[in-house]
Amino acid sequence: MVDDWSQVIPHDVMRIYRAKRDEAHRSVTSKYTILGFISSGTYGRVYKAQSKDEEGKLHAIKKFKPDKDGDIATYTGISQSAIREIALNREISHKNIVALKEVILEDKSIYMVFEYAEHDFLQVIHHYSQTLRSHIPHDLLKSLIYQLLNGLLYLHDSHILHRDLKPANILITATGIVKIGDLGLARLTYQPLQPLFAGDKVVVTIWYRSPELLMGSKHYHKAVDCWAVGCVMAELASLRPIFKGEEAKLDSKKNVPFQKDQLLKVIDVLGKPDERSWPGMRNTPEYHNVKRLEDSPNRLDAWCKQPVNFLSKLFIFDPDKRMNAREALLHGWFQEDPKPTYNVFQQQLSSPAQLPPQRRITQDEAPSMMPAQATHAQHLPAQFTQQQHLQGQTHGSVTSFASMSAGHGGHSRKKARIG
Amino acid sequence: MATDFWASSHNKRWIVDRATLKQARAEDLQYVHSPDHIDLLNIYFANLIGMLGKKLSLRQRVIATATVFFRRFYVKNLYCETDPFIVIAACCYVAAKAEESPVHIKNVVSESRLMFSQEGYGVKNFPSDNSKLAEMEFYLVSDLECDLVVFHPYRTLLTLCGRESACALDTEAGEVGVGIDSGPRYWGTGEGRLELEEGPLQTAWFIINDTYRSEICLLYPPHMIAIAAIYLTLVLNDKTREAIQAQGAPVPPPRRSSRTTSGSAHRKSAPAQQQDFVGFMAGLRVSLPTVAMIAQEILSLYTLWGRYSDTPPESGLGGNGAGEHSGGDDVVTPAFLTQLLLRMREARLADLAHPASGQPVAVNKRLERTQAAG
Repeated sequence: MVDDWSQVIPHDVMRIYRAKRDEAHRSVTSKYTILGFISSGTYGRVYKAQSKDEEGKLHAIKKFKPDKDGDIATYTGISQSAIREIALNREISHKNIVALKEVILEDKSIYMVFEYAEHDFLQVIHHYSQTLRSHIPHDLLKSLIYQLLNGLLYLHDSHILHRDLKPANILITATGIVKIGDLGLARLTYQPLQPLFAGDKVVVTIWYRSPELLMGSKHYHKAVDCWAVGCVMAELASLRPIFKGEEAKLDSKKNVPFQKDQLLKVIDVLGKPDERSWPGMRNTPEYHNVKRLEDSPNRLDAWCKQPVNFLSKLFIFDPDKRMNAREALLHGWFQEDPKPTYNVFQQQLSSPAQLPPQRRITQDEAPSMMPAQATHAQHLPAQFTQQQHLQGQTHGSVTSFASMSAGHGGHSRKKARIG
Repeated sequence: MATDFWASSHNKRWIVDRATLKQARAEDLQYVHSPDHIDLLNIYFANLIGMLGKKLSLRQRVIATATVFFRRFYVKNLYCETDPFIVIAACCYVAAKAEESPVHIKNVVSESRLMFSQEGYGVKNFPSDNSKLAEMEFYLVSDLECDLVVFHPYRTLLTLCGRESACALDTEAGEVGVGIDSGPRYWGTGEGRLELEEGPLQTAWFIINDTYRSEICLLYPPHMIAIAAIYLTLVLNDKTREAIQAQGAPVPPPRRSSRTTSGSAHRKSAPAQQQDFVGFMAGLRVSLPTVAMIAQEILSLYTLWGRYSDTPPESGLGGNGAGEHSGGDDVVTPAFLTQLLLRMREARLADLAHPASGQPVAVNKRLERTQAAG
């Protein structure tokens, strides 16, 4: 008798377990109404969604691409990047970091449910350069950088390197709070079992990549994020990327090439790094290549008028001497008036046209999320805008969202991710 | 976060009390003759994780993380309703990624198949298909509530007792991380640190390794486990024990150890003045009764572990009569435990098909036929 049963068991031992788990599972669509599609990337797609509970809060749901085997999605293992982003987000909590509400694993896909942020730095840059055609006000710039550094300090104190800071990854809520997002390249550096370069040969989008990375350093630290903050700040101040170089691609053997063009762009503004101020550069793999490049006078002050002293400290070539997040927050610039504000748009509230527009959402062209909802979703955006408007008023901002010219797609921004 | 255990998911969600553990195993207990068998299974599965980890060249910390994942999974699930072998493989696979030293899924599958199918373990049905393991990973990560950052006692051990320079074991925890971090060190000034020699330090390290064979990692915060391991080391190691006894004596007699102390007798440069072990323990400002309790649990783990043998004994207990009348202190083997697990599973399946009260649940047509056949 027992023998008969034992023949039943071997084939799918985990069936009872799966049945139990599947029964207890609450699906994404049972918890959230998908309002529209926001953006996509190598990792997957991001949707705007509203919680179905009483609070009806807004969320951004990041759906990781399921791996396809032909047309059928199969389980192939969760990517290192997803594991990282999930693991780190579960541990951290800070008002200047995008909060992860939950992770739903469903139907071979991973859904990360984040708090929703209406704007991002890239959108603000576009708004000022394209729509308003004016500089970003000094107080707004200062508040944006202050809150960005505040979030970064938290990450660094937690021994996390972000490794992909850029305007598109730094978000701002409708209430004017800066939120650092996208920890897909982030890494814990506390007692690593593997050196940092072992996992990811290329980190940080090329325009925001620090000189030590461009010169091939394998051991780097928090200073790579601080350089990126400098680049972001210069971009906010001048409304265009400060070091807009071309990335040299990996060759067929996945060797990392010398990033000559990007370094030339850096040297064009800052001059060449020299060994007296950065002794460690002699030990970088690309030292001899850099030596051959032509020098150029430092003309950073032409890029960024007021806080040039502050900015130049974020652009110190030697990573060990570069201003870190804590030093930056204590810098005199933040003590001077105008002081940074809790709502970065504090001064803009009186003139709503100054505020960047709402994030544009579209109906998903790829049928990857709830095709059955398509007809239902048609009338949702209007309904939603109205509600958002009411929410805005409660926070004291009377915003007209007439201008919908926002957002993404102006520049082609290159992801640093490979493989 | 990486430095703040108190704010971690580990502390907030995964330190459980004994009642929770008892409840988690309550149904499994119905299918074994002796509660010891469950604890022996705990040892068995931790051993398997360690061995699979070695095959995959995982570091000790990754193996420890995998074991914690396994324990957490079984806080929520039953041995008798699941297949621990694929759970073990999935734990190793996820832990490698969580600790940033990933291994390819097909290596995990092939090494698991190879290892589990060995005669001693007798698991013949480990799937050869990568997608089966990936599917298990999916359910596992979900059951772990996506909490993948785990704290281990090793860190506390090195913080409290590590040698400042060239500590042999420090390389295990962070050889490539040296100097990578520009920030301040988080283990304070180093004042009040206990200087353990290499021998005792290694003993403490091994005791910590052993604790993963029980559920201690679910019950106590890692720093407490580390302190209990240090405590046991101080008492068990000949040299440190003598030092403590000498400390207790009114006048420390000048020992010239006429007896040769076993093992770690090579004395290199002894610290200039004798270390105050008792003062060190007393100065820790942690609950010493809890430390004593953990130490007690570690000792009872060793007692139980004495009954576990990787090699089958002469009498060949492995195959026959598993669980028939084995409540005593018999030596158990991996093969016996695999058999035990299969029987638990069969009995569970039978119970699900024929609940003691209420309507029978048809699990499977074949089962119904078996029932009809009597």
